[in-house]
Amino acid sequence: MAFQTIALVLAFGVAGLLAILSIQQVTERAYRADVLGEVGSLDDEWRHKGVAHLSYTVTKRSRLWHGFEYGLASPSGGVLAGDPSLARLAHAGWTKSVAAKGLALAYTERLPGGGWLSVARDLTAQQEEMRTLAILLALSGAAGVAICLATACLTSHWTWRRLDALSSTAALVAGGQLAVRAPVRRVDAPDEIDDLSLAFNAMLDRISRLVDQLRRVTTDVAHDMRRPLTRLRQKLERLARAAADTPTVAAEVRRLDADFLEILRTFDALLQLAEIEGSPRPEGLVDLTDVASRVSEALRPDIEVSGRSLDALMESARVKGDADLVAQALVNLLENALRHTPVGARIELRVEDNAGAPRLSVRDNGPGIPPDLRDLALAPLGRLEASRSTAGSGLGLAIAASVAVRHGARLELADAAPGLEVSISFPPSRRTD
Amino acid sequence: MRVLIIEDDVESAQHMADDLAGFGLEVTVIHDGGAALAPGVGDGPYDVLIIDRMLPGCDGLELLRRLRARGVETPALFLTAMGAVADRVAGLQGGGDDYVVKPVDCQELNARVQVLAKRGARTGDPTLLACGDLEFDRLQRKVWRRGQVVSLLPLEYRLLEFLLLNRGQPVTRKMLLEQVWGFHFDPRTNIVETHISRLRGKLDETGGPPLIHTIRGAGYVVREP
Repeated sequence: MAFQTIALVLAFGVAGLLAILSIQQVTERAYRADVLGEVGSLDDEWRHKGVAHLSYTVTKRSRLWHGFEYGLASPSGGVLAGDPSLARLAHAGWTKSVAAKGLALAYTERLPGGGWLSVARDLTAQQEEMRTLAILLALSGAAGVAICLATACLTSHWTWRRLDALSSTAALVAGGQLAVRAPVRRVDAPDEIDDLSLAFNAMLDRISRLVDQLRRVTTDVAHDMRRPLTRLRQKLERLARAAADTPTVAAEVRRLDADFLEILRTFDALLQLAEIEGSPRPEGLVDLTDVASRVSEALRPDIEVSGRSLDALMESARVKGDADLVAQALVNLLENALRHTPVGARIELRVEDNAGAPRLSVRDNGPGIPPDLRDLALAPLGRLEASRSTAGSGLGLAIAASVAVRHGARLELADAAPGLEVSISFPPSRRTD
Repeated sequence: MRVLIIEDDVESAQHMADDLAGFGLEVTVIHDGGAALAPGVGDGPYDVLIIDRMLPGCDGLELLRRLRARGVETPALFLTAMGAVADRVAGLQGGGDDYVVKPVDCQELNARVQVLAKRGARTGDPTLLACGDLEFDRLQRKVWRRGQVVSLLPLEYRLLEFLLLNRGQPVTRKMLLEQVWGFHFDPRTNIVETHISRLRGKLDETGGPPLIHTIRGAGYVVREP
């Protein structure tokens, strides 16, 4: 901004200066021509009428003001006629001299016989004109600078706004909403920014298609696996009954069945994840307090039986969304807290209204997750213990994150010092009551 | 027990029919919603109707509405891939008695069909439920076993009530999650098992044979031993 201003001021300044200088030059040349013309006319006079007649002519012309001033000096230097200061000029050529009315441009010539004749053009008018011109140029220059800066500001502001729209779209996409596209002003005659937006949208189309394909593959695989797995479990059930009189075999079969149930649950979770990600923005009204109460009361027995404690702190809060999805997310968070904390841990479930932007959080005072591993924890099937020994698929947190995205909310992992706090922050909603 | 399946996906319908037949049900399949409206079909002598919501040319919901308008009171179960809350609410308000989202395993489907069929045959909504030496007063929310009051938590009342309303009929874990907890998804912890065993513990305190039985793969049932 400052750079532009300095550059503009310099540019206009130099232009103005050059303008004034060249106008001055032109005017001066014109004046010189005038003066020489007058000198020529006086030369004619004394050539025809003699030098002695010159003082009469000079005096007469001095009295009629037609822009010239005169000075006539005798060979001894005495003032014969005209303006004394001009008469005192005693060398041939051009001088700028101060005469009766102010600054004047004078031409002096030696007369035959030794005297000096000076003819001068008054410059004060010219000087005033120059001053006026300078002021006008300064004003118009300033206006020019202002207009240039204003135009530059406006143009860059419009450009910035359009680029900002583009980066907002990118942020929305990064947040999980693959369906948004950047605005394009004129499709038939796109400018550079439109070109950029069109390229960006084309890229998003391709990514959406790839994600859909991937999701369909995952879903198809999960669907295809469910049927045979369900049948396998039924066969295992029959096997268990047939082996009822050999308890060791029956027990082994039951263990096998538990493993298959685990696989089925993983596929169910994968399917659910895909379904949540592919579904449109949910439309119902969710009473967060009610959902949180039901979930906490449902899981309380398991939590307490396992030697941990659960505190539920609820404020009244509502959001737009799907109660089942929110319940599922909360269940997953509480299950994770149960599973990843030692005996004796305290788990806290909180519902806050947060001035119209409700916030759900599950906090525990267990080992927590180190900051550099938090992204891994959110990835589907991402697990932190290398041995994968604890039960439960690694999808719980990913599903909760997906539910958050579907509701336009943000799921964040934070250090509860000590422990982990997982929070879901919903966007502020207009009152729907 | 006779069941009519209205499902346009031929293979899926066949699988379902085979599975249910395996449980001893008599199954008829039609693939076209329009055909269901023909006289003697949708309003035929069936105990349960299984209707897919996404039929070519019409919504299963609309089909059921028309049948209900004609006086068909057969209990109906919607079996569909449309799982959003709004869809479920619409289905149940539109005259459906149960709403199940695909995929569903055959035991789940069988249990629900049986429950619906029994419900259809039952008349009235009794305030007193009983099973063996157990008594449940729904109005007063009081439970007695062998004359002694059993004190239960609200959730345990709801659980026992649902089991007793379907006395003798196995109810699945999913059905319990939906009806007692209001969860239309499957949490991976053992909420149901934990609460059932607590309930059992309280009921058996007064002595007497166990009344709540676990049927592996099918769910839980309350019945006299």
